Amino acid sequence: MCLASALVGVIVFLKKQSLLGESLTHAAYPGVIIGVACAGLFDIGTEKEITISLLVMLGAFFSAILGLLAINYLVKHFKTSSDSALCFVLSAFFGIGLTIASQIQFTYSSLYKQAQMYLYGQAATMTDIHILIYGILCALILGTIVLFYKEILVISFDRTYATSLNINTRLVDTIIFFLIVLAVVIGIRSVGIVLMSAMLIAPAVTARQYTNKLGWMFALAAFFGAFSGFLGNYLSVVMPSYFPEAKISLPTGPMIVIISSFICLLSLLFAPERGFVLRLIRIACFRYRCICENLLKAIWRLDSDKEISFNEIASHQNAPIWYLKFALNRLVRYGWIERTPIGYRLTTDGSIRAARIVRLHRLWEVYLVDYLGVGAERVHRSAEEMEHIITPELEKQLAMLLKDPTHDPHDQPIPPNTLHAGGA
Amino acid sequence: MTNCDTALEVLQLSVNYDKTPVLWDLSLNIPIGRIVGIVGPNGAGKSTFLKAALGLIKSISGKIKFFGKPLDAVRQRVGYVPQRESVDWDFPITVRDLVLMGRYGSLGLCRWPRQADLAAVDHYLSLVGLTAYADRQISQLSGGQQQRAFIARALIQEADIYFMDEPFAGVDMATETAIMAILHELKNKGKTVFVVHHDLNTIESYFDWLIMLNMRLIACGPVKEVFNADTLNMTYGKSYALFNEAIKLSHHKTQGNR
Repeated sequence: MCLASALVGVIVFLKKQSLLGESLTHAAYPGVIIGVACAGLFDIGTEKEITISLLVMLGAFFSAILGLLAINYLVKHFKTSSDSALCFVLSAFFGIGLTIASQIQFTYSSLYKQAQMYLYGQAATMTDIHILIYGILCALILGTIVLFYKEILVISFDRTYATSLNINTRLVDTIIFFLIVLAVVIGIRSVGIVLMSAMLIAPAVTARQYTNKLGWMFALAAFFGAFSGFLGNYLSVVMPSYFPEAKISLPTGPMIVIISSFICLLSLLFAPERGFVLRLIRIACFRYRCICENLLKAIWRLDSDKEISFNEIASHQNAPIWYLKFALNRLVRYGWIERTPIGYRLTTDGSIRAARIVRLHRLWEVYLVDYLGVGAERVHRSAEEMEHIITPELEKQLAMLLKDPTHDPHDQPIPPNTLHAGGA
Repeated sequence: MTNCDTALEVLQLSVNYDKTPVLWDLSLNIPIGRIVGIVGPNGAGKSTFLKAALGLIKSISGKIKFFGKPLDAVRQRVGYVPQRESVDWDFPITVRDLVLMGRYGSLGLCRWPRQADLAAVDHYLSLVGLTAYADRQISQLSGGQQQRAFIARALIQEADIYFMDEPFAGVDMATETAIMAILHELKNKGKTVFVVHHDLNTIESYFDWLIMLNMRLIACGPVKEVFNADTLNMTYGKSYALFNEAIKLSHHKTQGNR
């Protein structure tokens, strides 16, 4: 069932309605309680679990739909912004639920325990019948998504375009809403109302980190959802038996959510392409390249043939000294510069590369001044950045556009293109 | 009025947003096989006109007919290219998926794309020169490439009328010429293309029919006849400031604002 909620979560996530899940789970609460109360009214004993859980599911289903309608109505007719409508419905419905619940606590106290189960979830107490019911519902969700995959895709991407294609957006919207409500109803039994929305969103966020394709995203989210469901269950059963004397009890729902949040966090940090850590590393690499190129440029500017002392080089850089030394050493190792008794000197390769950087810098300045009408005194900063970014193709286009100028706006000579001619 | 040479016929179309009128009493006829430019200042209702024609927003009055038939009868023959900014480019789909969307409408509910549809995607991708980018995520394209992908998505519908909302906004020169070449190709096949446009300098070279809008229809006809200083002044001129001011006031009054 974590699988199903993860799938639906993808849709919710893509439609940017992450809060909706949260609101609907809470909106389902009064339904749960009323379901339990009905069970009490009709004198259904605690032993008839199926009837109770069916009643509860029905109640949750209808009150979630009611919540959804309330949200839509608020947004449409009272012009409330959608997030305040969501929050309002969330708290109002939950409040109603709690009020009825406290009433039930005294009248049907045995059933009250059942109702509380839905608040925090209790997968461990599920029986075969439960699994069968939820299994069918999951299959229903899965099947619907497979059938309506392309409609869901196009509607979450661009509603108006979907309408122009003659796709019945209202029908598909209704289907999506039913999917969300179903997923909520399924999920609250195992994860609980309070934590359900994490189960919707976390797998979707995780999956988004790894793929740029919607199909894969569904598959991955389903996998992550199912995996954290499995692991959560497993741990909540196994962990306490490892430490029998500590008497820890690990409820299943929170365990599942903790696991999936943990996976999600790891993915946000370490996923290839989109992960935060790797992005930091890539930024650091780029910064390093900038420093190296700036150093080459500094030496070239000071004099391309003579030896330059470290202090002279460092006086034009604003990076820490140790970092400059490190970068210089690397440059020596890679053959761009060579060490001399006094300081450093460019190798032939080094001076070609340095000349190219200066060329890009000055070309960019010419472009800004001549074509974009930027004042000559303001172009230096932008060029400082662009000189590290411009690719050979862009350089070619620039040179063509500017008709290969020889001097920049500050009347400095622009080194000719050495990349193809070879030799400085 | 209606004959088989008319691609689009609009009769007394008016559109409101909330209670503010955006389009007033538009009536026009466009013959088949033209490249039609739609110009007007910001807020003149150019995009609104497109959306109303496509039935994407409700009009309060008016009739719209394509080839003498109501929209519902010819839906599959009408293609739409929305504004590039109108979608979330970070959405997890590839260029291929984006173009394939154009076929979703004709496939019908619950049907998966067939092999032929996938082959068509490749064909139209190569037509707009995006074959090399087919498997990229859509945010990894440049502005011009995104626009070309959008156009490929409309082309794959193989419609008879295309509505393009600012296809030249924020694209490079190469893309602009490429798109124009595609439009001429479409015209030669007898298709009609509507293009919302901003650059007044290129109107005469790009279009052969022109709709000039500023909440009301200023002019509609062959470019040579209607594109002149008078109509330009009426479309962009100061005389409309008064009109707009009055509209704004009326909006405030009807909304109960002060």
